[in-house]
Amino acid sequence: MFGFWKTWKALEARGIMGINRRNADYVLKYNKRSLYPIVDDKIITKERAIAAGIHVPELYGVISTEKEIDKLGEIIGGRNDFVIKPAQGAGGDGIIVVADRFEGRYRTVSGKIIAHEELEHHISSILTGLYSLGGHRDRALIEYRVTPDQIFKSISYEGVPDIRIIVLMGYPVMAMLRLPTRQSSGKANLHQGAIGVGVDLATGLTLRGTWLNNIITKHPDTTNAVDGVQLPYWDGFMKLAAGCYELCGLGYIGVDMVLDQDKGPLILELNARPGLNIQIANDCGLTLRCHAVEARLEELKARGVSETVEERVAFVQEMFGHIPAVEG
Amino acid sequence: MRALTLHLKLLIAILVVLGISVTAYQIFVLGIPVTEDATDDLWNIDAKVEFVASAKDPVKIQMFVPPLSRDFVSLNESFISNNYGVAVNRVDGNRKVTWSARRAKGNQTLYYRLVLTKRYSGEKPKIKGATFRDSMPIEGPEKVAAEALLAPIRQHSADVETFIGEAIKRVNNVNDDNVKLLLAGDPTTAHKAKIVELLLSIAHVPVEKVHTIRLVADQPQVPELWLRSFNGTDWLYFNPETGEQGLPTDRLLWWSGDENLITVDGGKKATVTFSLNNSEMNAIRLAKLTDENTDAKFLEYSLYGLPLQTQQTFMIMVMIPIGVLVILILRNLIGIQTLGTFTPVLIALAFRETQLGFGIVLFTVITALGLSLRSYLEHLKLQMLPRLSVVLTFVVVLIAAISLFSHKLGLERGLSVALFPMVILTMTIERLSITWEERGASHAMKVAIGTLFAASLAHLIMTVPELVYFVFTFPAILLILVGFMLAMGRYRGYRLTELVRFKAFLKKADA
Repeated sequence: MFGFWKTWKALEARGIMGINRRNADYVLKYNKRSLYPIVDDKIITKERAIAAGIHVPELYGVISTEKEIDKLGEIIGGRNDFVIKPAQGAGGDGIIVVADRFEGRYRTVSGKIIAHEELEHHISSILTGLYSLGGHRDRALIEYRVTPDQIFKSISYEGVPDIRIIVLMGYPVMAMLRLPTRQSSGKANLHQGAIGVGVDLATGLTLRGTWLNNIITKHPDTTNAVDGVQLPYWDGFMKLAAGCYELCGLGYIGVDMVLDQDKGPLILELNARPGLNIQIANDCGLTLRCHAVEARLEELKARGVSETVEERVAFVQEMFGHIPAVEG
Repeated sequence: MRALTLHLKLLIAILVVLGISVTAYQIFVLGIPVTEDATDDLWNIDAKVEFVASAKDPVKIQMFVPPLSRDFVSLNESFISNNYGVAVNRVDGNRKVTWSARRAKGNQTLYYRLVLTKRYSGEKPKIKGATFRDSMPIEGPEKVAAEALLAPIRQHSADVETFIGEAIKRVNNVNDDNVKLLLAGDPTTAHKAKIVELLLSIAHVPVEKVHTIRLVADQPQVPELWLRSFNGTDWLYFNPETGEQGLPTDRLLWWSGDENLITVDGGKKATVTFSLNNSEMNAIRLAKLTDENTDAKFLEYSLYGLPLQTQQTFMIMVMIPIGVLVILILRNLIGIQTLGTFTPVLIALAFRETQLGFGIVLFTVITALGLSLRSYLEHLKLQMLPRLSVVLTFVVVLIAAISLFSHKLGLERGLSVALFPMVILTMTIERLSITWEERGASHAMKVAIGTLFAASLAHLIMTVPELVYFVFTFPAILLILVGFMLAMGRYRGYRLTELVRFKAFLKKADA
């Protein structure tokens, strides 16, 4: 019992945020329930992003009724690679990534050959709600296939690594690079076994990582060091993430982004209840950083001004950036 | 935000205070027992009337019986008498029973039996009495003696209460010449009381004789004489021997006034003997009995006022918030993951039918089989509703099969399965399989075990008989629970499992 109390005090001193605090102080306080559909439905997210001029993977088309499935060929056009996704899918279910064409059929990234009819059947399944939580009717979207930047080749296994930034009222507070592993079967979700690697907000240099709640420094599949990697276009990522507050109106979100080798930073999706493992990846608590941002907001409110995306990014980079590299 | 916090705090304070005060009112004012095992004394009083009837005349016996207007309530009253007509009537705050017979001969025995208990109601009936009386006629040396006695009494008293007390004390001082004169060689309590009454009448203070029975088991009893006077709001009782004020709680007022306990027409040698015994009775049953016999319906607006069958349902229902509280604590304080929020409570309710051990086995077996069916159905790519229907039907068939087998094997337990809520099982299977797909087998396992653990714990707590009784009898406790739940809604601390989850931070801090 005493040991638990000691742990409690130590965690509190380091400002580690627990689920209860996240829910009570941030998710419930800053995220209006009525705005959830914007982040839950990837099509709405994308439309909003496009309207706001934020970069997202290009949307080729949306299929929302059985009848529209006939237009699939038209939507795909002459393209060789594309992604089919359920708009409200969760956990990466129901996603087909087509990498190439083969003899009038399609080849997925994992090498499976599928016929056009099979794609149509898959979309039909999406529409009936097979992949959406609760089994609601859903829509399917066909979009640009992201090719991960070469920089990640050495430190990731299959799949697309993505960058998660927690944004509080438009201020990025913490960032993490998520690397798929063999165990996570190419998915970038930490609870499925992907690695989370902390990222310095100011420089875009990676810190050490977390894998299944442990601190690690090497990728378990490639054994390459995950720390000390310079992420390109870092300021671009930061601005993209900061701008997502204006995009969705939710005050506490996790912004998932990818680095495409041709198009640069793109927004994949937003999450209204971002996980807490990012703290382990960064070896730093969220609470103190969030309090700093809240204090800044108070101060600005008192002065009656609000900051632009650039000013906000500069503020957090100054505040939370430039973490000295840890030896060992 | 701050205003909201204040609002919440106020709300919690109001709920908790309300819950505690209603419960305290029930316990301390209404006297509802706190546990089901609490017992109360139940008094059984027999008054045996014996007399010899004269052969010629019709017989008429009149006897006082307790008016029961004070702290006691009668549960049962019976007049045991062969061949006698019985009538009960009220006279001046007393009750009198009249037995009558046209013809009776020889030794006669009649019984009056009263079963009573302390009254649970805090409400006292309205009482009234005289506060002034005329002086009794008195002359000669007695008048002089009385006035000589009264002078120091007046001096030593401040109000009616002390006046009466002082008067009684003086009269009991038999060495006083004035007292000797007034007593005229008859120092019985009854006569002393009469002298006290006389003295007080000169001062225009009314007193009344009351005759009481002491509630002590297995001792012969004779009615005990007390004096009482009305002070405008309440009766003040005085011991005529000592002048002490206040009637002990074990005294039962039998009748008041100067008349004898019994009067017999057409008979002689009438005697009344009292015998008392007490028994203990389950307090809440007693309370219910009392309720039926009085106007004070203190249980009227409690859940005991419901029909018995509904009561049983409510005994389960009032425990649901307790179960939910268990889940709340397990999830938000401990951090155990469960399927959905209230599924464990529903499973806990299902365990009522099957008993815990058997329920867990059953739940595991059916869920495991259901999950394998669900994973098979997954290949068929069915829509949700048809898929759920298939799983539900499968569960029903499975339960039927288990019932049949266990019946053939002679296991009675198996039959209780029939009531195991199938929809709960189906939903559990469905949600578990979704969890399985989204978050992997190990997570699904963790969640399933967490759910089963939470359900078992909730079941165990929800079936503690003392707790069921307490919550059912004092439903205001639920307000306190709501207060706690509201407070939990703003709980920001770590969950116990998070302390383990974030251990990585500390390892590094130590290094």
